Amino acid sequence: MAIDLDLCTGCGDCALACAQENNMPVFEDDSDLPKRVQFLDLMKVSNDRDAAYPDVEVCYIPKMCQQCEGNDPKNPKPPCVSVCPVVATDVGDDGIVSQIWSRCIGCRYCQASCPYEARAFNWWKPRYEGDFKKSLNPDVSVASRGTVVKCQFCSHIWKRERDRAVAGGELDINAVTYTPACVAACPTRAMVFGDLDDPGSELSRLLSREKKRTFRLIHTIDEMKEKDEKKWKAMMQAKNYPNPKVYYLTSKAWIKEMMKFK
Amino acid sequence: MKRTVLLIGIPFIVALYFTFVISQKACDRVMANHPEKPIDFNHQSHLLTYFPDNGLSKDDCGACHDYYDNGRFKGLPTVGDCTSCHDPNGPVTGAPASTPRRKPFLSGYKDTDKPWGSHARQPDLVYFSHKVVMTATFEDGRKKQRCSNCHGDKAGSTNTAMLKGKMLMGQCEDCHTALHISNKCAVCHD
Repeated sequence: MAIDLDLCTGCGDCALACAQENNMPVFEDDSDLPKRVQFLDLMKVSNDRDAAYPDVEVCYIPKMCQQCEGNDPKNPKPPCVSVCPVVATDVGDDGIVSQIWSRCIGCRYCQASCPYEARAFNWWKPRYEGDFKKSLNPDVSVASRGTVVKCQFCSHIWKRERDRAVAGGELDINAVTYTPACVAACPTRAMVFGDLDDPGSELSRLLSREKKRTFRLIHTIDEMKEKDEKKWKAMMQAKNYPNPKVYYLTSKAWIKEMMKFK
Repeated sequence: MKRTVLLIGIPFIVALYFTFVISQKACDRVMANHPEKPIDFNHQSHLLTYFPDNGLSKDDCGACHDYYDNGRFKGLPTVGDCTSCHDPNGPVTGAPASTPRRKPFLSGYKDTDKPWGSHARQPDLVYFSHKVVMTATFEDGRKKQRCSNCHGDKAGSTNTAMLKGKMLMGQCEDCHTALHISNKCAVCHD
């Protein structure tokens, strides 16, 4: 997935569509953090807290699970998978990190090990306000209390689209395309979703075209590639190197600076 | 000493036995799926008597258990599917044996109603696709899976009793392993 931060207006449609699609309650007052369970966080960042009007710049960063790969693509081991004692989280054949809530024992090791705080813990049974319960998505099971949940790039939509493709006679599973709820909801088309392994996909072409603007949330390590390739390779071999699959695009230098691991 | 054992031990064992029996019954009631089955449907007579007479193969499960256009499995047929053969204006008795007769029970329902439940239900967090599993073939064209592998000999059954117990995850995994299909969690769960 690629997210163009220059196009993002911070409207929050992605977060809302995600909550609606994945049966997570939406509250009018979202300030109660433990109660809130969200896969997609819309972070507001500013270049300088104390800056006055003409110099202040604001950017919104949609942050979800980065579907890390780890340092070995053949045997993907993201930081959260290697710590799970009950194999509730695993990397699928499509590269998406799955989280099965019925297997989860709620130890929250994965939440602690996630460098992006992309995982959420269900402290309580979800409580739906108003008419929300009538519009629940039958494809997504509601996770029980005491389990960890996370974004899976709407893998239920992928399964649904796979069914539709097979019914239409298409048996090649790599030809199946789908759009996650957040990408479908984005009004400015700032989010692009596709197959990173396929060089012909819209996503791969965008990333190869916009190499200068692209960064990931492990910017310090990626940056080392140009400076010192030997050191970069050593850093990549470090244990728990996340190697995320979500790319951000921006033309502003201060955002890149801010997103570095410091 | 002996009397103490007799007076306390034996009633204790008897009470324990009944506790186990009651709790097992209760657990079975809570855990097992007990669908409503208003008709004692006879699969065998339909498949062996009516299907060959009406140009259908006797293992053509899809005649009643079909798919939607988007690949979703319809599951049990609706009343409308039944009345497409059992003509609601036809005779109740007197017709030749191969002709489906009118069933007075069905006239109380709309065409879209489904007054019967299914024994075979997966939990919410399992995404099972009949279409994908039933389309999978070997290189020589043989199907990898048949209906009876999971549902038992439903075609030969004469009533609506449950043939097999609960379908456990191990059964799915055994087939996946044997056929070299991925056993990753996300293949079925989401």
